Amino acid sequence: MAFKGAMMLSEEDNVATCLEEVSSGTSVEVQLGEQTRRVVAIEAIPFGFKIATADIAKGSQVKKYGESIGIASEDIREGDLVHIHNLEGTRGRGDLVKKESK
Amino acid sequence: MKFEGYERPDGSVGIRNHVLVIPGGIVASKICDFVAGTKTVLIAGDTYFDHTSRDRETVGRTLIGLGLNPNVASVIIDGSIARAGYAEYTVDRLYEEISKSGKRVEVLRHEDEGGTLAAIAKGIALAREMAYEASELRRQSFDVSRLVLAVKCGASDTTSGLAGNPVIGNLYDRVVQAGGTAVLGENTEIVGAEHVLAGRAVNEDVAKDILEVAETIEAEAKSTGEDIRTMNPIPANIKGGISTLEEKSLGAICKSGSSPIQGVLKYGERPGGKGLYFVDTTPTMCIYVGYAATGAQLMLFQLGGGGFVSNESDLLLYPSPGVVAPLLWTTANPGTLARSSSSIDFYSGTVLEGSETVESAGEKLLQRVLEVASGTMTKVETIRHQEPTQVYLRDPIF
Repeated sequence: MAFKGAMMLSEEDNVATCLEEVSSGTSVEVQLGEQTRRVVAIEAIPFGFKIATADIAKGSQVKKYGESIGIASEDIREGDLVHIHNLEGTRGRGDLVKKESK
Repeated sequence: MKFEGYERPDGSVGIRNHVLVIPGGIVASKICDFVAGTKTVLIAGDTYFDHTSRDRETVGRTLIGLGLNPNVASVIIDGSIARAGYAEYTVDRLYEEISKSGKRVEVLRHEDEGGTLAAIAKGIALAREMAYEASELRRQSFDVSRLVLAVKCGASDTTSGLAGNPVIGNLYDRVVQAGGTAVLGENTEIVGAEHVLAGRAVNEDVAKDILEVAETIEAEAKSTGEDIRTMNPIPANIKGGISTLEEKSLGAICKSGSSPIQGVLKYGERPGGKGLYFVDTTPTMCIYVGYAATGAQLMLFQLGGGGFVSNESDLLLYPSPGVVAPLLWTTANPGTLARSSSSIDFYSGTVLEGSETVESAGEKLLQRVLEVASGTMTKVETIRHQEPTQVYLRDPIF
């Protein structure tokens, strides 16, 4: 059986993980348990990478597993690839401590 | 749910049957080169001199724990460990603590034997005798409640958190519900998920201990002045789709299943009871020796691998650096399985393909674990090479 669509883990999540290579403009079937919905990919998303299932404003939490996995570092649109270019961790940020102390 | 194991005099049950020589070094290596059925622990670049009392205690606890591991039939202590004179690892202490198990323990006192070479000769004679004795023991049927499992995940990609780790979590739930013991560790990789684990603690003290583990390692990370994302998640995690430490941690803790957490153990500490425990240890190679000292008979490694930079077609995975406890590799990534099929024992990508549920894959993994516990080798156990390792020490060396 082939991998397909994207997997969402909690109703609170605003990202889903793509289980196939998705090209820009593809309507991706997002599964959350028994439910499914569709999100149109605005850009290409590789296997195992995250697609935004909702708009996420800069500075707000990106949620996966029903928990925060960091903060949007720019405005994210539904269908965007969500990765290190637009999502920042908030934990273990020694770089921020260093900035503050300067 | 039964497996075939070796009963030890202290009531524990081994899934392997080794003669252990500790610590590692020239004497142990020569004995192990010469005598079948022996193991030692190769510690890279450390004589255990010049350490703080906290770290010396960890070394002592780890060596004793290795001797007590159920997979060990009997133990030879190379007296050179005691040369520096520290109280934490005198020959007498190691001998007394390991002997409490009722196992045969022999000591090589170089001064009594007439020097190092003579100690090696004596050790070889003893090890041959002990290996022969161990071979006379027969496997018997034991309940799964006698198992102690340990787990690590690595080179994680997003298949790890979605399928690989949840399937191990399901295995953990099955073993714990059946009265067995299971441990997880990797302190950095609970940062961002520690509140979830703490919420599963059996009481407030344990919850506090879990939060403290995360707080300590995060403070240490911050003190470097670097963004932890440049250290952990590693570049291969990021290439595999993981964006932040929080995301990695939330995926990593899925391997703990859903059982209550009974306590936080120090590195190499033995659990006081059955059930699920957290071990305060780093994610690096030293984790395995610590797990073995905790009493794990079998360790699982859940490999992502989707972000590996190299793309060789036959990637050989390492055999257990846990010395006395074999390592069983799992993956949920089909590309990783294809690249490392000669090293991987279990594939859980079926969960992502939709052909299997986490529950049915967990049931299959349990069967695999029971087979390995009964004597079937793990794929990497067929490799004789042993990675040198380290004990997880926290303080500077002075």
